Amino acid sequence: MNYVAPETLEAAYRALQADEAVCLAGGQSLVAMMNLGLAAPKQLVSLRRLAALRGLSEQLDGGLRIGAMTTHAELAGLDPKAAGPALIARTARLVAYPAIRSRGTIGGSVALADPSADYPVALQAADASIEIGGPDGSRRVDARDFFRGLFETALNPGEIVIAVHLPPGPAGAGAAYEKLSLVAGDFAIVSVAAIGRETVDLAVGGCGPTPILLAGVAAETDALLAAGRALAASCNPPGDHRASAAYRRRVLPELIRRAGLAARHGVAP
Amino acid sequence: MRTERVHSLLQVNGEARDLLAPVPTTLLEALRDSFELTGSKRGCNHGVCGACTVLIDGRPARACLMLAVDVGDRPVVTIEGIADANGLSAVQRALVASGAIQCGFCTPGFVMSLTDLFSRDPRPSREAIRTALSGNLCRCSGYVKIVEAAERLAGLPAGPSEPSGPEATHG
Amino acid sequence: MDDARTASRGPAIGASLPRLEADDKASGRARYADDVRLPGMLHAALLTSPHAHARIVARRVAAARAIPGVKAILTGADLTGPLGGGIVKDESMVARDKVRYVGEPVAAVAAVDAATAQRALEAIEIDYEPLVPVLSIDEALAPGAPILHEGFGRYVKTIEGGGGGNVVFESSIIEGDVDRAFGECDVVVEGTFETQAQHHVYLETNGCVADVDASGRITLHVTCQSVHHVQQRVAEELGEPMARIRAIATRVGGGFGGKHASGIHSIAAWLARAARRPVKLVLSRMQDFEIQRSRHPARIWIRTGARRDGTILARDVRITTDGGAYADESPPVLAFALLMSRGPYRIAHVRATGRAVYTNKLRAGSFRGFGNPQASFAAESQIDELAAALGIDPVALRLQNAMRPGDTAFGGQPVASCVLQACLERVRDAQRAAPPLPVLPGRRRGIGFAAMSHVSGLMGTAAAVQLRTDGSIALSTGCVDLGQGADTTMVQICADALALPVERVGYAPQDSDSSPYNWKTAGSRSTYMTGRAVAVATVELRDRLFDHAAELLECARADLELRPDGRVGVKGVPMEVSFKQIALRSLFHAGGPIATSHGFVFDGPGFDPKRAAVHQLAFANLGVYTYGAHCVEVDVDPGTGAVSVRRAWCAHDVGRAINPGSCEGQIQGGFVQGMGYALTEAMQWNAEGWLVTATLADYKIPGILDCPPEIHPIVLEDPDPTHPVGAKGIGEPSLVGAAPAIANAIRQATGARLHRLPMTPERVLDALDALEASR
Repeated sequence: MNYVAPETLEAAYRALQADEAVCLAGGQSLVAMMNLGLAAPKQLVSLRRLAALRGLSEQLDGGLRIGAMTTHAELAGLDPKAAGPALIARTARLVAYPAIRSRGTIGGSVALADPSADYPVALQAADASIEIGGPDGSRRVDARDFFRGLFETALNPGEIVIAVHLPPGPAGAGAAYEKLSLVAGDFAIVSVAAIGRETVDLAVGGCGPTPILLAGVAAETDALLAAGRALAASCNPPGDHRASAAYRRRVLPELIRRAGLAARHGVAP
Repeated sequence: MRTERVHSLLQVNGEARDLLAPVPTTLLEALRDSFELTGSKRGCNHGVCGACTVLIDGRPARACLMLAVDVGDRPVVTIEGIADANGLSAVQRALVASGAIQCGFCTPGFVMSLTDLFSRDPRPSREAIRTALSGNLCRCSGYVKIVEAAERLAGLPAGPSEPSGPEATHG
Repeated sequence: MDDARTASRGPAIGASLPRLEADDKASGRARYADDVRLPGMLHAALLTSPHAHARIVARRVAAARAIPGVKAILTGADLTGPLGGGIVKDESMVARDKVRYVGEPVAAVAAVDAATAQRALEAIEIDYEPLVPVLSIDEALAPGAPILHEGFGRYVKTIEGGGGGNVVFESSIIEGDVDRAFGECDVVVEGTFETQAQHHVYLETNGCVADVDASGRITLHVTCQSVHHVQQRVAEELGEPMARIRAIATRVGGGFGGKHASGIHSIAAWLARAARRPVKLVLSRMQDFEIQRSRHPARIWIRTGARRDGTILARDVRITTDGGAYADESPPVLAFALLMSRGPYRIAHVRATGRAVYTNKLRAGSFRGFGNPQASFAAESQIDELAAALGIDPVALRLQNAMRPGDTAFGGQPVASCVLQACLERVRDAQRAAPPLPVLPGRRRGIGFAAMSHVSGLMGTAAAVQLRTDGSIALSTGCVDLGQGADTTMVQICADALALPVERVGYAPQDSDSSPYNWKTAGSRSTYMTGRAVAVATVELRDRLFDHAAELLECARADLELRPDGRVGVKGVPMEVSFKQIALRSLFHAGGPIATSHGFVFDGPGFDPKRAAVHQLAFANLGVYTYGAHCVEVDVDPGTGAVSVRRAWCAHDVGRAINPGSCEGQIQGGFVQGMGYALTEAMQWNAEGWLVTATLADYKIPGILDCPPEIHPIVLEDPDPTHPVGAKGIGEPSLVGAAPAIANAIRQATGARLHRLPMTPERVLDALDALEASR
């Protein structure tokens, strides 16, 4: 196994062309998989020296540009007013544990697209866009198009997530992230991100290979439950040792109701 | 997987340490096997239990999830680097005095997490203490006396859980 | 008790001293098994079975042997001696002709480093003929089921237990006339309860370093619960006399019943003997989940009947435990589950029958509670159901039927003292007096109770005490400290009996070459059994000191008194001699070195054949009953089924709290481990018999945010008259009460009764839905 830590994006793109080369961001997922014998790449391209991937800056409209190597801890420490950043901060606080949050990165989480992860759900609800860089230049893909399947994204081989662009969300909107897990810090059984006020955009995690978007739902109990029931009937959640598919369908409407009302009324979940 | 070894220069507990090891070597393996710093423990090797917690660049990290080759020149502090000139640090003494230590295998990880907490806030709230320790598993203690130790160190009043001592009874 | 025989003289008993080794643990200096390195040490790796049930048809190891750096390889072909194991000898350290669970070791390699050992494993080829596995109790007992142990009838069994087919052991305890007594009951409740496989999840995994000397004598540095048991098992499995095997306990990072002697210790020893070099074998977390032991899953059918006035007359219990692929501790766990199934109540007519079965999963064995958690989940849940059917308050029903001094335990042993009433009243009153805790938004609050009993005395132990030249004391026992504080407890007992500060008592590490025999650190027995041996041996040493002092001070023994800090003086006058002076006299003038010891095997009254018909119960005499009660407050989320334990009160009789802080820590830790058993922990196997919960990411134990910030230990002292300082045990009971108390609280909050563990959000929601549908 080879290891390189390039200092420029161009060097990183070249390094990623090697056989079985993968990016090493915070390592909180990749190294765990290596330790368990589930991953054995031939080349590790560490992103830690790439200044282009760093930086967390508030935009003029209240949104955020989040460099890919921004840690969950940095995001968890924010207390922003705008709904989009507030949603990502609340979500970051629920990812795993402090020692994981101090190393894990948003870029790493987004690129991995674990169906039980937290960020993909929040970013879909917040209508974020992912800035992607590659040898042929950079491009932006909406989060709502970025997550394609189980551990599958819009990244082409050799591309890197550069930054996440988070819009401020509707003026005066609230945000909420409801996460149901067996113990604190665990992967979600089902999670729901909501952003909005009278109507909310919701994203659901844990009910399929990718987060599921429910846009423009009226933030009232009946409408939220109805949207939840419709989704429960149509989606195909997994059954695993944490919970059955039937349970995920069963709790989905209630979690959607909670997330939607919490976003509307500004109650932190 | 070939076992070609690469060289890294690490800063551990204020000392420069040379490492020659294969790329997949974690910081935990480097500490325990190459540097003979066995105080950081391997409880699971997949980042859940917290027994391998060290400080990297002043923040807590799982040594088992960090590749030694990726640490670079960021300073690493392990449990062996915590005791001060007077012996045990205040965090360590608090854990000893409160009866929080049972089997002790989780203790180095808790010391590191508490050291980080108290370095940022000398008077953390109960909630901040519990959040800071949320990634350290303990199977022996039920966590109560660990939190009591931290609360005493933070100058918080005795919590409602403080027991009043054994009572004689007959039946 | 005669004052001269009473051990306690000084202030050490009752002091919440930190562990003797706390500084070592806090600083990271404490040495656990994986911290041991020896010159020339090799690394071991295990090849394990990918099949739940298969015959081994062929093995090819030549290619592995040829890899440079490979120093020894073990397969079943190398083993020809008798099978080993527990009461039923059905195990081999690596599989011989069959594999019976996924993860069973089939080969082991010792090599110069871990990577080479891994390459050697990949070069070993094993041909299997897969067989149909049985993965549940029902599959194992179905007519025509595949049989795991075709040779069962020929196995050596140190205790007869019936069995046959896939049944390992059968036992029963019967008192009175159950069928007639049910006829006299006004209210009868009946139900079936199911419990799951729980894993110990000690933070330190199992492992050892096996060293070898020039003559081939093996020394194991091992994290374990008994050096004598490791010595015995390894000697047996290697075909060596015990004198050729030595076991030294490292610091132990938690045991809970999961670190008893096992095949991996024999594997390490075998490899070291073959390679003539030290071998380290430490299991990864996944391997520890897959290879070692779990708690017995159990199915408990239970029926309890009472008169209208609340007097419980009869109980009928049938327990089937799932013992996994090898018998291990299935016989005694079954026995203890049956023994505990009456609960701490004076029920005159009880029939408890049970059997343990083989399945093609990980063997089940010893785990804190040892059958009591399973039995009590069922029995204490049913007490609440009975209370509801009678219209009587659940605490009142328990109080009404609680055992009283002079009653007998199930099986007929007289119980001199029972403080269950005090335990129940204390937790009930403490909860009532506590400031009300706001209910979490949207949730429903419930309060639940459970009562429990357990034992503290069984098997054999010994202690040795010596006077050193400087007047200090050297204490030695075979009791391994798993983290619960046994080292410190023994020193406190010894120091107290001599009015010495604890710093003046040195405590030897456990080494089978030199430590007095101790059966195991298990069964909540250490403080009672080994502590008693320590106390008696120390009192005898005190007598020898007095003999010398009487000579030196030229007075009668009756005039002497012990004084603090190592002195013996004449009552009423300043005349005294120091322990040091006595030591010098003994070593250079008269009497010889002063050393005493005391050993005994549990000597309480056994079962009473006039009261109880006890059939094939797989343990020797046990007793020293203790009692406890729990009260928990839970908040149930009716939308998701999530259960949050908000506060707990746990009252336990410990006889005498040698170290109150240690008692509290054990109570709190046991409660949380029981809470995990109740709510989130379950080992799960797929249809092929693969364990799907083999990492800490998948098997979830409570973290700090899952635990109530308030777990109130209420330590009660009802001294035991057979122990010189009155102490009993506390290690296990606090785990036992958690699950039924939580189940009863969920019922109180929602009306839904759960019969299966763990009570995951899904199961709770299903129960709520079922309740709603039935209305």
